[in-house]
Amino acid sequence: MRNFLSALLILTSACISCKEENNKPAVADVRTKADSPAVKVLPPITHYTVPDHSPMDMVYFPKDYPLLKMTGKTQALPLMRVIYSRPQKEKRKIFDGLVQYDMPWRLGANEATEIEFFSTATIQNKKLNPGRYILYCIPQETRWTFVFNSNLYSWGLEQNRQKDLLQFDAPVEKINGSIEYFTIATEKISDKSADLVFLWDDVKTKLTVSF
Amino acid sequence: MRKILALLVCSVSFLYSFSQSGKLPEVDKSPMDVSYYPANYPVLKIQNKATEPLIARILYSRPQKQGRKVFGELVEYGKVWRLGANEATEIEFFKDVKIGGKKIAKGRYTLYAIVNEDIWTMILNKDTDTWGAFKYDSKKDVLRTDVPVQKTNEIAEIMSMWFEKTPTGVSLVIAWEQVKVSLPITI
Repeated sequence: MRNFLSALLILTSACISCKEENNKPAVADVRTKADSPAVKVLPPITHYTVPDHSPMDMVYFPKDYPLLKMTGKTQALPLMRVIYSRPQKEKRKIFDGLVQYDMPWRLGANEATEIEFFSTATIQNKKLNPGRYILYCIPQETRWTFVFNSNLYSWGLEQNRQKDLLQFDAPVEKINGSIEYFTIATEKISDKSADLVFLWDDVKTKLTVSF
Repeated sequence: MRKILALLVCSVSFLYSFSQSGKLPEVDKSPMDVSYYPANYPVLKIQNKATEPLIARILYSRPQKQGRKVFGELVEYGKVWRLGANEATEIEFFKDVKIGGKKIAKGRYTLYAIVNEDIWTMILNKDTDTWGAFKYDSKKDVLRTDVPVQKTNEIAEIMSMWFEKTPTGVSLVIAWEQVKVSLPITI
């Protein structure tokens, strides 16, 4: 019973904290421009870094892989991991506004978005070797061009086009409502394939990745 | 009783919302962050100002103190701690390094700590892409090394980690509440 009660308490506090998030920004009150490289100046010894206004996040396929592994639901290796930072709409016009058409966009904020395949991946009949890439896109109104590039560990403001490896076009879907935080998610199609989904504002695009 | 009922309702609704499939990932309360050595490497890289290659990167999620007593309570003494929140903390070396006199091959590792009042035991473990320290397996340890705890005057509300240059190499610095530790890394 004590265990049950403490579990309840934990769940409840988690619940409350979820609620809190709806009412205030999840990160600190320090407003920094997501597009300014100056955001990430690392601290001198006596200073502690504040959380980023566009927080970093990580998605796996299989979805929630670390949790599956922790709960013993998988013994296999993960297939894919994406690390990106999540800018917010904050009432701005996003596409054809903050994110300009026909210009490379880092698919997030801060560092270039990183995608890692732990097995050989296939997208639109083209193979990508296991390893890390940066992924950016060139958005247009009705389709986005996704570009895999080898210029790893770079800030996302500039792309080195000479290091482009492969590119893929994907149609844009309009969705109802508006998504505040830029979101990348994996949606399972089968054990060995998933849609890598990109959502922000009223726009959704996806790349189907198979292993 | 009413409180218990309210708790129950709250918990159930949380479970329900958690279990709905197809839900988009929410913004995390303990946001993920990254630090590099050299510090700020990605920015230096695009400005052509990097004078050293990338040597290390740490990915971790940043819990907040929020009025709680952290060390000795929220983070219990003597237990393996994920050194952050959510997924276990990942440290990656882009070249071979030495920690505690031992050679560490380049690659990805999970970094844990056993926290005590005066000393932390830092643990480098080969089992990556995992959640918390719930499945920590000491058989996959690559290294254990002790580091002393320093007390700080400043209170760190949010847990922070960064790399600093030292006369002998680099230190990974970890700060939360009024505690700071440094893990020396020879590069």
